[in-house]
This record gives sequence, C-alpha cells and structure tokens, in this order.
Amino acid sequence: MTTITAQRARVARALVVVLGIVFVVLSAVVPGNTATGAPAAERPDAARAAVPAAVGNVHAPIKGEGSTWSANALDQWIRNVWSNYQWKITYNQQGSTAGRNAFANGTADFGVSEIPYAVSNSNEQDLRPQRDFAYMPIVAGGTAFMYNLQIGGKRVTNLRLSGNTIAKIFTAEITRWNDPQIKKDNPLLALPAIPIVPVVRSDGSGATAQFSIWMRQEQTALWDAYCEKAGRPMVNGHCGITSNYPVVPGTGFVSRAKSNGVASYVAQSHAVGAITFVEYSYALNAKFPVAKMLNESGYYTEPTAQNVAVALLRAKINQDKSSPDYLTQNLEDVYRFGDRRVYPLSSYSYIILPTSRDAGFTLDKGLTLADFGAYFLCEGQQQADVLGYSPLPINLVQAGQQQIRKIPGGDPVIKGIRDCNNPTFSPDGGNRLAQTAPYPPACDRQGSTQCLTGTGGAKDTSTSPSGGGSSDGPDDANGGSGGPGDAGSGGRDPGDSDGPDGSDDGPGGSGDGPGGGAEGDGNGATEDDLVDGGGDAEVVDDAAVVELVSATPQSIPLAESGIVPRLTMGGLGLAMIAGAVLPPLLGRRARPVLPGPAGLGRRGLAGGAAS
Amino acid sequence: MSTDADENSGEPRGGSAGVPGDVAVAELERQRRELRELGLETSPAPRDARVDPTRPLVSRRGWQDNVFRVAAHSGGTLVLLIMTLVGVFLLWRGSQAIDAAGWDFVTEQTFEPDNGRFGIAAVLFGTIVIGVIALSVAVPLALLTATYISEYAPQGIKRFLIGVVDLMAAIPSVVYGLWGAFWLDGNLLPVSEWISTNFGWIPIFAVPAFDPDDPLATPTVFTATAFLAGLVVAMMVAPISTSIMREVFDQAPVGEREGALALGASRWGVIRNVVYPFGAGGIIGGSMLGLGRALGETIAVFMVISPIYYINWHILGTGGNSISALIALRHGEASDFEVSALMAAGLVLFLITMLVNFVAGFIIQRSRSGAAS
Repeated sequence: MTTITAQRARVARALVVVLGIVFVVLSAVVPGNTATGAPAAERPDAARAAVPAAVGNVHAPIKGEGSTWSANALDQWIRNVWSNYQWKITYNQQGSTAGRNAFANGTADFGVSEIPYAVSNSNEQDLRPQRDFAYMPIVAGGTAFMYNLQIGGKRVTNLRLSGNTIAKIFTAEITRWNDPQIKKDNPLLALPAIPIVPVVRSDGSGATAQFSIWMRQEQTALWDAYCEKAGRPMVNGHCGITSNYPVVPGTGFVSRAKSNGVASYVAQSHAVGAITFVEYSYALNAKFPVAKMLNESGYYTEPTAQNVAVALLRAKINQDKSSPDYLTQNLEDVYRFGDRRVYPLSSYSYIILPTSRDAGFTLDKGLTLADFGAYFLCEGQQQADVLGYSPLPINLVQAGQQQIRKIPGGDPVIKGIRDCNNPTFSPDGGNRLAQTAPYPPACDRQGSTQCLTGTGGAKDTSTSPSGGGSSDGPDDANGGSGGPGDAGSGGRDPGDSDGPDGSDDGPGGSGDGPGGGAEGDGNGATEDDLVDGGGDAEVVDDAAVVELVSATPQSIPLAESGIVPRLTMGGLGLAMIAGAVLPPLLGRRARPVLPGPAGLGRRGLAGGAAS
Repeated sequence: MSTDADENSGEPRGGSAGVPGDVAVAELERQRRELRELGLETSPAPRDARVDPTRPLVSRRGWQDNVFRVAAHSGGTLVLLIMTLVGVFLLWRGSQAIDAAGWDFVTEQTFEPDNGRFGIAAVLFGTIVIGVIALSVAVPLALLTATYISEYAPQGIKRFLIGVVDLMAAIPSVVYGLWGAFWLDGNLLPVSEWISTNFGWIPIFAVPAFDPDDPLATPTVFTATAFLAGLVVAMMVAPISTSIMREVFDQAPVGEREGALALGASRWGVIRNVVYPFGAGGIIGGSMLGLGRALGETIAVFMVISPIYYINWHILGTGGNSISALIALRHGEASDFEVSALMAAGLVLFLITMLVNFVAGFIIQRSRSGAAS
C-alpha cells in the first residue's frame, strides 16, 4: 500500500509543481498582456473625434467615488434626481484620495475630491490619470472644528479658537483645555483641565489636505516642527501638503476613517475633550457645536453658508483653459481676507469629469452625468445652505456649465442666470449671498467678551458664562453688526458689566443688522424651495420626462491581444484540464501490499477490534 | 481501513471456494464457515498465504466511477491550486516593495511607501498583540463554555446552547465591529481605567497620558485601544473555539468515563482525568484555529481601532493596528507602489495564518481525539 501511495503522491506533487511553474510563467507574461492595453487606450481617439455630435440615448446608471467632505450634498442631490428623473447614480464615499484613485483606475465614472491631482508641495505622489478629465466645482463649504466639551456637566456650544490655537492643538503643542491661549480666546469660559483629544482622519482625505495647505501657509513654523517630530520629509523647505494626517507617537491623537468616523467619534458621550476637523454639515447632522475661528479682522466666525461665500470671494480660480488644473482653487488670499464675516477655512469641492470615452465610459453614461451636473449646478445649489454647505457663485456655475459640455454623450440643458434658481445669483451678476451676509455681532470680536449663543448643530443651546468676571454687556452686542462701513466697535460699552450670570438672550438675537432683512428674505426663499423637494416641475425640461426604457445594446471594446498571451491562456487551460482529468484515469488502483509475517499480527488485531 | 481489508480478502475467498478441483481448499473453507457460525473467528493466514502477491488485481471501472473520480479529484486539486495561486500572486505583486525595502520591511515601523519609508514592524506587532489579547480572553471562555455544554448542561439546555454558540459564530464581523465601536468602547472605559489605576505598575497596563491621581482625568485616553480590538475579536473567536472543543469533549470514550466513575471519581474528577486529557488536542487545535481567525480579522478591528504606525506597548492606551486593518484602510487610495507594499504585508499575514493553521491541524491530528474524528 505504502509504496504505491507514495508513488502517486510523488506524481501529484510533481503535477502541482508543474502547474505552479506554469502559473509563474503566466504571471510573468501577464504584465506584458496588460501593457498591450495601452494601445487600446488610444483607440477611442477615433471615437473622441466624433464626440460632440454623439448624444446618449438613455440615462445609463453611473457610479462615482470620492470625498466624504461633500458627500452629504451629493447624496441629497442623488436622491433628488432619482426621485424626480429616475437617473441611477451611485456614490461611494471613500475619501478624496480613494476617489481620485478610483477615477484614475477607471473603476469610477466620476471622482469627487477637494484637491486636484498632483498638488504642488505634496507629500504624496498623486499622478494625473491617463484618461482625459476636467475639474468642475460642485459646492463650497467650510472645514469646521467640531468639538465635544463640557463644563460642569453642561455642553459648551460657543467655543472660539484662533488659527494659531487650532494649529497648536493639532500639532500637540496645546494638550489641555485650560491652556492660557484657549482661555484668551474664550474669556467667559472656565475651561476644565482635561486633555484635548484631537481626532484626525486615518484615510486619505481632502479635508486633511485642505487643513494641511492652510497649516503650511499660515502656521508654517508649527507645521514644520510637527512634521519633524512625525518623521515626514520636507518638501521645498517646508512640511508638505498631505492627505494622510501625520500622528506623532504618544500624543493621544485618535484616527478614524471617513468624515462620519471622526464626527461620530467626537459625538460619543464619553469623548469629552475631543475635537476634529470635518465639514460643517457633519456637525449639523450630529447636533454638535463647531468652534468659531478667528479671521484676519479679529472676529470669530462660524462656517455658515454666508461666511463661506464671503470668504471665497477671494478664492483665485485658475482661468487658464489650457491648463490641466483649469478651474481649480488657490485659497492663499482667502485665509487672510480682511472682511469681518470671513470664515478662513472655506473651500470648494470638485468633481472630476471624464471628457473621453476611456475606461468604459459610454455616451449613455455621459448623458446621465451631464444632466446630473446641470442639475446640481443650478437647482441643487438651493439646498447647499440647509445641508451645511455654501452654494457656488455665478462665475463658477457658468464655468462649470462649460465643463459639463465636454462630457461625451451629454446634452445638458444650460440655464441662464434667470432660470438657474441659484441663491447666489443676482441680476447684476454679483454674489447675492455674500452681499447680504450679516456682519458678526460685537461679541464675536476678539477681546474680553464672547457670544453665548450656540453654533453648528447646537445652535439652539446657549452656554452660560462660567468664567471671567469682566464681560461686556451682551445686550449691546447688536450694535456691532452695523453696516459694512461700521467698524463694529461702536456698540461696545466696556462699562456695562453683566457679570457671570449674564442672561442667555443677549447676543442670541443678533443678525438683525442692516443687511439682515435682505438676508432673512433670502433664507425664506431657500426654505420655500426646499419644501418642494428641490426639483420643481417648472425647471424640468420637456425632454427630461420620466421614461422607463430597457437597456440598449452595448459593445465592449476588447483589448487587442497578441498570439503569445492567447497561446499561454490556451496552454494553461489545457494544463489545468489535464491536471484534473489525467491522474484518476491513468493512475492504477492502489492495492494493499500483502502483509508479511511481521505485519500480520498487527493487522489481524486491528481487524478483530473493528469487527 | 479494517473493513477495506476484509473486503479485499473476501473476494478471492469466494473465488477459490468455487473452484471444484481444489478439494483441500473447499474443505478448509467449510471448516472456517462452521467455526464462524459458532462465533469464532479464524485466522486468515492459511488462505492469504496462498494468494500470489505478484498477481495484478484488476477491477473494472465504469464511466460513473471515472466521472466521480475526476470530479472529486479536480475539486481537491482546485483548492490546492487556489491556495498556491494566492501565495504566488501576493509574492509577485509584493516583490516590488520587498525589493525596494529589503530588511527594513520587517523592522521599519512607519508605513509611507510613497516617501520610501515603510515596514510592517508596527502593524505586525499590533496584529500579534490583538491576537494574543483575543486568545487570552477567548480560550478560557471557550474552554469553560465547552465544558459546561458537554458535561454539565441538562439535555434540553444543551441543545439550546449549542444552537446559540453556533449562531454567535454566524454573526457577521461588521456587526461585532459596530457593537465594539459604539457600545463596548464607551463601556469599557471604566474597566480600562480600573486596570490602569491598580495594575499600572505592570508596564503593559500603564497609560502614560493617564494620571490616576488627577481628579479631572478623563477616560478618553482609553478609547480605541488594542485591548478593545482584542476583546471584540475574542467575541468572534470564542464561538469557533467553543464548538471545536465541545465536539472533542463529547467524543471522550464512555468506557473510560465509566471506569473513572467506577473508581470513585467525582464529576470534576472525570473531566480532569478523562475528558481534558482526551481532548487536549482539541483544546490546543481549537485555540490555534481561533488565533488564525483573530490574526486575519479585518473589518471589526478596522472599525474600532485608531490606526497608528508605531509600536505601542501600552495595550490600554489609544492606538493600535493590524495588517488586515491596514490593508482595508489603504487599498482604495493606494498608488501602485503602495499597493505592492500592501500586497507584501498581505503575504506576511498569509504565511503566518497558514503556519498557524497547519500547526493547529498537525496538533489535532496527532492527538487521540483528533485521530478518532
């Protein structure tokens, strides 16, 4: 028995070895095979020439991947177009880095990212994809600092932080909430001596990238020192821009994946002391406050739609249509914009559109994507404010409308200023949202007092002052929110001391400045529109009537494969069949070696025991 | 095995009895039959000795036999092939990164392939720490559960408990992850705090950021730890280990149990002297299979842990990592070279898991209980 089994085992082993070798050879051949895909990528050139004429027939389902920063807005728009037009769009929120990668690899029809490919001074190698693409801004917003802080068991909702304080918190220079520098920002709060737990993103994220761009430019020394500690290399003399936040061992940072991850960590009841950077909408959804951030003119502001719109008036948009980075943002002037309403960490989020039919992008998909783009550039922007974002201004909407025309197969309905229903549009071409933005109340000014009203998702919860006896009268706060020409300090009366038991209603009614009336109207209009569900029937084009159609036949472009891969694949297949079929057919039936006199006793015993 | 031998020896026996000329053999056969009817088994020696050992034994094989053999054989081959292919694939894709990093791949803690500095020291350490924590919780739990179910539980409860344990094994790991991240994390804080306060003098239980004498100390430094990940994984490992151990315990021979009882052993005495020695292989094997799962557990660890890229000895302090969680986190956003580094990390995990499972299989097979099963 043993000799024959051993022989067959040897045969089987030899077989496995042979197959293994075959596969090793195959794997050596495969890269050559995929390399032959390159000519295939050039093939659609012919098709591309014919693109402008060709229009998709049906709205094919499309799939996108990317940013979690802007995902709340995208998800809402996708729900809207599905319920109104039955365009099937799937959005997979995996982070900006994953989105850029998925688009480059061709696994997503569109990507969404806060930063473009190949940002200069970046730590990451982030090459532009082979397929043709164009950027288009989708929505603006503020990267907010959502926090979980309690004083005497009551949640703090009016925290204020200067840029330098924020930078020190996220570089582990300030580690406790009662740090004098935080105290200086918050004269009315008696902050506890508990450790600060900075919560950062563990995945590659556009929010991290935006934050690190700001750190590199505005807090260079702190950022460089931190990079040194984290062991990150310097890029052009300073710590680089990164999508993966560096964490220094032993600093008590917590890393979580995706915006939802960091926001839900901070929102846990036991995470007192935690602070994170995340889009404003996540704080609204979690019903948590965000820190007001100090701007250049000495006011602490919140990333509301208006403040973001004002800040982004200074965003420098790349206007060079031949540049691969056409329409991308340069925010260096935003950070130091002197308007009192500015929220410094404001930015745009971008969609990456395919402009060729590479990577299986069809005309039908193009039809869906172009119509979706046309939808969210106009109607979709109405909801931006309520969702926690800020609508795009007119210049970017018009540029975006040009970009969506480049999508193959698309036939978007381009709406003018009148039809677009974008809340930022005004007949004179200015940004209505920014023009009507209210000025911050005097209590938001850097100094010895602070507003008591809540922020972010905890707007309705005010915080009673817990520390600092010398506060200005909150009742006078409204005086500061005068017209644009007003320096804002007129209403401040240092003599009027309200004491620590100051009433909660003081600055709560702020926002009634001269511009407040107009702003209120704008808000009302926005809400009215929202009730309709965002897709009013008037703006639906006749061509976009709901139609249910079956799929159209599609041809899949095949990569030209050479004779060698074919032979290899054929040979491999034959080898596998042979490996499975031959051994049982050829092998002779195992026959037990007859026991000799020595084996007899053992066998006999075993047989006896069994029967 | 023994029945096989009987069949083989039965065939020639019938054949030789039918040969009319061989009177002596027929006589012998008759005597044997008589003996068997009396309940006595004769030695097969005289008959077996007559069989020519060189005569080829031919059996006709029908097409059904061939189809069945081909199907069964290709199934077996395919499993082996796929295993080999996975290994070859990982090696092929990972070789680029391993070439670039050399031995640093094992010793470097940071993981930034695009900056040229990457290694798996920290993630490998984290993987093993999580596995060890999981086992040190899951094995005692599984052992006691299996003992209770197999030895103490009344018949009705026993069946119910077996079902419950099997059901636990069927819960998807993402559910355990959610439970760990949103419930256990917060509720574990006082436990971690207590351990750190009272056993902080043991280095691994100390948490540098935590000062037990500080009345305002918050327990947030105890969130998202390797300890938490280990506990969550333990919950997933315990059911598997339990069912393996329980099955082995159930097989402990009744004769030996009764023998021990007859000699005056208590119930615990039977368990200690018969069941545990008999099931030792099952206990070790079940634990090792659990370890294999603990090392490879991905999504639950990914959800609860705060990933770090340095070796953190303080298992109660924030931060930990594992190879599978690293891959889950990075694969979507990785550049080509980073993917190669992840593949290399995956190869290491593949080899470790395979080693653990082979050792487990070896131990189970070598043991008394394993050989019988």
